[in-house]
Amino acid sequence: MNKQTKVWLVLSIALSLLALGSACSNSSGDSKGGTNTNATAEAGPYSGPTGTISGVISYNGTPPAPKKIDTTADPVCGQKNPNLMTDDTIVKDGKVANTFVYIKEGTVEGGKKIGDYSWTTPTSEVQLDQNGCHYAPHVLGVMVNQKLKITNSDATQHNIHPTPKLNQEWNQTQANGAPPIEKAFTRSEILIPVKCNQHPWMKAYIGVLKHPLFSVSSDTGAFEIKGVPAGKYTVVAWREGGANGEEKTMEVTVTANGSAKADFSFGGAATSSTKPSLQMMPALELPVMKH
Amino acid sequence: MNRGLNRFAIFVACATFFLIIAGALVTSHDAGLATPDWPLSNGQFFPKMVGNLFWEHGHRMVATTVGMLTIVLMIYILAKEKRDWVRKLGIFALLAVIAQGLLGGLTVKLMLPLAVSTAHATLAQLFFCTTVSLAVFTSRSWMAAEPLPEEKGTLPLRYLCTAALVTIFLQLVIGATLRHSATWDQHLPMHLVLTHIGGAVAVTIALGMATLTVLQRHKDEKFLARPALIALLLLFVQLSLGIAAYVTRLKSPGDPQPLNPMISITVAHVACGALVFVSTIILTLRTYRVLPARVELKEESLIHDYRIGQDLHVKF
Repeated sequence: MNKQTKVWLVLSIALSLLALGSACSNSSGDSKGGTNTNATAEAGPYSGPTGTISGVISYNGTPPAPKKIDTTADPVCGQKNPNLMTDDTIVKDGKVANTFVYIKEGTVEGGKKIGDYSWTTPTSEVQLDQNGCHYAPHVLGVMVNQKLKITNSDATQHNIHPTPKLNQEWNQTQANGAPPIEKAFTRSEILIPVKCNQHPWMKAYIGVLKHPLFSVSSDTGAFEIKGVPAGKYTVVAWREGGANGEEKTMEVTVTANGSAKADFSFGGAATSSTKPSLQMMPALELPVMKH
Repeated sequence: MNRGLNRFAIFVACATFFLIIAGALVTSHDAGLATPDWPLSNGQFFPKMVGNLFWEHGHRMVATTVGMLTIVLMIYILAKEKRDWVRKLGIFALLAVIAQGLLGGLTVKLMLPLAVSTAHATLAQLFFCTTVSLAVFTSRSWMAAEPLPEEKGTLPLRYLCTAALVTIFLQLVIGATLRHSATWDQHLPMHLVLTHIGGAVAVTIALGMATLTVLQRHKDEKFLARPALIALLLLFVQLSLGIAAYVTRLKSPGDPQPLNPMISITVAHVACGALVFVSTIILTLRTYRVLPARVELKEESLIHDYRIGQDLHVKF
């Protein structure tokens, strides 16, 4: 064996070891990614008066029509959901569903920033189901470290693949009848796209926040954020659309036991403050209280 | 020359071309991560091939077949071929296909990082280049080729062809980077699109010069003229496919899923790019085979003598 052959042999072996090492490594998303969950809140948990932010998401003009999805690649999808349509823009009577609304930043009465307070992570799970080769819900919110329970109600296999920028990316197959997959995200991130690489039309978006001050608009376009400390905040409404989505912001003042209105409009004639796209930016970093 | 070996080398090269198409279909369907594991698919040798798993596992099956064929080709070469450098190239082909398989595994395990995906696409072209070269070196026309004279005072053709080949290879790397930098539902990064367009201009100039010069100087020599003509024709097809691929790809982020004609045109663009590359390889190898490395200067040249401010006729 001459020198050149030896060099190629060594390179091949090195590449093999790298691949094998990678194959044997734990691909779970929980082992890495860093966390700020131990951060100490300057102000501790909030215990003062709270109010509510509610509103309606409207669409001005003619919304894009839902598109038919071709499910011939997996007959199970077509059998269970023969009229599967895109759900990136669900508009009914001019009202928009699946808009993620959250408090981005602001000042609580008394002068402290909302980010100075800590919030308890709920013990309840948030469910993401795969049903009819479609994610339900399409947009959802969880708190940092809150359990996300993923179920498969279809007679076919899916793979769940979140593609975060700040959290750990993972990709896991879930066969029909397989037990639920439980995951959590360790960093706040707005919003994490989730896709199924087996059925490329399947998409969902997960907003991960360190506080519970978020909501997703219903089919009537309505949303409500309860338990907001009295203060002045920047509220953001994000909806899917285009390559990176679209967001609008609004300054909202919440009074003690009061109800603040925050109506957002999307579409051609929308007038509120608009950013053309959301580059999956990090959300407000608030400390979280461990329980 | 062993006719059976040559035919088998051609067969492996054709199988490799099919493998490149299968790989391109995986990328265009966004099926690269249809299964999170490797080398098994969802823990099975033969999973139910539904949805995008059809493309990903299908690609793995074709790749495994090509890997087996390459092992047989290497054994065939070691058994029948006497030229030491051809035997070494046969061993290199096997190492390349092993490395390519491992790179494919890394793309899955590391979840398609751009560098690894681009390396996988680039090595695919280099492996195709290797199998085509083996087919060329074991061919009857290669063995029977006679040296040809080059016109005096001209740039040796082999260097023109080599320059075209290097330009095409760089363009293939840029194309692979562009292709793997955004999935079908994302817009392509404009800086890479512009770089790829710039590369297309460079390839057109370099390959156009090389092929037109071959056709001008050696139009009666089929050994050189044929691959030059094929490369030139494929270049025009490739440029048209490139424009069509860009137009269909612009629309795809608004589609509910990867759809035709975007899939078929982008795959055809990748496949035709591979054909432009290998036709230029064949042309370049043949220029090295029959044309001299150095060309004599013309017997008499005009040289401007700055000291006396006059042109002088100089005989060499």
